[in-house]
Amino acid sequence: MEKKTTPIAKVDDLVIHYETRDGVVEAVNGVSFEILPADTFGLVGETGAGKTTIALAMMGLLPYPPTHIIRGKVEIDGEDIAKKSKNDMRAIRGKKVSMIFQDPMTALNPVVGIGDQIAEVILLHERCTKEEAQKKALDMLQMVGIRPERYKDYPHQLSGGMKQRVVIAIALACNPELLIADEPTTALDVTIQAQVLDMIKDLRDRFGTALMLITHDLGIVADICNKCAVVYAGEIVEIGTVEDIFDRPQHPYTLGLFASIPSLDKDVERLQPVKGQIIDPTDLPPYCSFCDRCDRCTEQCRAADPKLVEVSPGHFVKCIFARKEAD
Amino acid sequence: MALLEVEHLKQYFPVSKGLLHAVDDVSFTLEKGKTLGVVGESGCGKSTLGKTIIRLLDPTAGTVRFEGQDIAKMPAREFHKIRPDIQMIFQDPYASLDPRLSIRELIAEPMRIYKTQPTKEALNRRVDELMDTVSLAKRFENSYPHELDGGRRQRIGIARALALNPKLIVCDEPVSALDVSIQAQVLNLLQDLQKELGLTYIFITHDMSVVKHISDDIIVMYLGQIVEKAPAKVLFQQHWHPYTKALLSAIPVPSLHNRPQRVLLQGELSSPINPKDTCRFAGRCAYCTEACKNGKTPALREIAPDHFVACHRVQEINALPDAT
Repeated sequence: MEKKTTPIAKVDDLVIHYETRDGVVEAVNGVSFEILPADTFGLVGETGAGKTTIALAMMGLLPYPPTHIIRGKVEIDGEDIAKKSKNDMRAIRGKKVSMIFQDPMTALNPVVGIGDQIAEVILLHERCTKEEAQKKALDMLQMVGIRPERYKDYPHQLSGGMKQRVVIAIALACNPELLIADEPTTALDVTIQAQVLDMIKDLRDRFGTALMLITHDLGIVADICNKCAVVYAGEIVEIGTVEDIFDRPQHPYTLGLFASIPSLDKDVERLQPVKGQIIDPTDLPPYCSFCDRCDRCTEQCRAADPKLVEVSPGHFVKCIFARKEAD
Repeated sequence: MALLEVEHLKQYFPVSKGLLHAVDDVSFTLEKGKTLGVVGESGCGKSTLGKTIIRLLDPTAGTVRFEGQDIAKMPAREFHKIRPDIQMIFQDPYASLDPRLSIRELIAEPMRIYKTQPTKEALNRRVDELMDTVSLAKRFENSYPHELDGGRRQRIGIARALALNPKLIVCDEPVSALDVSIQAQVLNLLQDLQKELGLTYIFITHDMSVVKHISDDIIVMYLGQIVEKAPAKVLFQQHWHPYTKALLSAIPVPSLHNRPQRVLLQGELSSPINPKDTCRFAGRCAYCTEACKNGKTPALREIAPDHFVACHRVQEINALPDAT
């Protein structure tokens, strides 16, 4: 495959609100990033940070109403998906961008055999006969490590790890340029998680698929990603290469996340958690939304919302204390 | 005397295909004020072990001695008197609280059942005290569980467990449903309470970094059996059972440096229904020989002081001297 340097996906100043009975949920507040064809981009954050909303927006899958894209756009392969018709989007989903969902138990159709569920995607996107699609589905099954004789099995006959493998086979069946994986291994045990992550890595390298990985587990990001963004209250608070985030983090929230994880190689008497609770997205302040949980918060922090500052090429931090890195 | 002594505990469930061996011959002792971590993957029987110890389930066989008394076979009426000493914190703070009770009522409920507070005022005072202990703000007293987030809900679960001044608390995945920043808060709270009140914990989890942080001793379970048992500090330096090795190496480490060499396990858990009397890990084990497949279930042997491993080839694999 020729090397492309134009981004496969570009999210530009995206703002998404949900309307609920309790008020407007400001789920995504001005998020911008790019994914290049060779990237594995990690999106890290806690529950309610807006990670999944961003992913669904990139797939054109946000329900409307109650969701409103207030501002900004998503470009897939240089084209604004907001301008696409429903039919055009169908052609893009599965072919150019695919998504793996968190819960493999609910992502599969319980009354269709797993092999035919893979063949369905291929039939939809590629000009081929049913037999050809089934043959390709069989290949995909083997690629994700499931024996061909299980082609006719139903989802309930498979374990959680195997179901997630089938979901991955479906997502990759049409060789998409970008795969969005939303917490692909959260529902799995660690040893199975390790198997599935290794398989995702292997397939990514083999097909040259760009990957966007949504997770709350910094360990998985360190394992698989080359770039990463930390999301808090619908905003990217820090973005850069994994080296930037893991070796030279600057944002107090990023630092707090690292301090909250019990370490396996160091003995820590007491964890240093981020204080307080996750902020209520219906009631965001006009200033830095991390203020209430931040130890370094000053008057100045409550005066205005900080901008993303570039502290070294490609490494941005949304904090007034962000300092340029000395080389 | 140890606070808790579990001997040859078995919990089998009859299912249509036979007997499901959820807990199969588990023995350990736990000293007062200590924390025992129980780790393993889903389906290894760790939750069933917890429930059997506090007698939410009646064991198939074996004894559970709490302060010297066998509580496993004690008549229910008699056990009722001991129940306040043994409490449990449940995994899912969304499912373990009655949605129709307010926070105040939820925390008062155990004390109301056991009539530990003579007057209404005393009960209210104790609820306030407990809310304070677990750092729940007083403004939540009349809220209902659905109005609170996971971290606060789990604090209610902890307050309920503490209400009767227990000696032993079985914590079944108490932080698994929580985000990391909140998880760290709850872990710190549990540790503070242990120091203050001299509590003893059995801490069941699948998260190795959490269990290392909080435990004194660790039991690694696989398909209903203990495969390795060691002090927490030792286990993370020297893990001798092939399953423990794989389990530890599978954890994604949040650092770009000194990443462990991964030992990938083949296949998945075999069935716990009518298991054969051989090593249960044999099918996934990289070191498995014919002797492992055909031999008996390996016994849990003390390989080094306080370090027990159930593997036929443990000395060979780890180049340890043969102990007898």
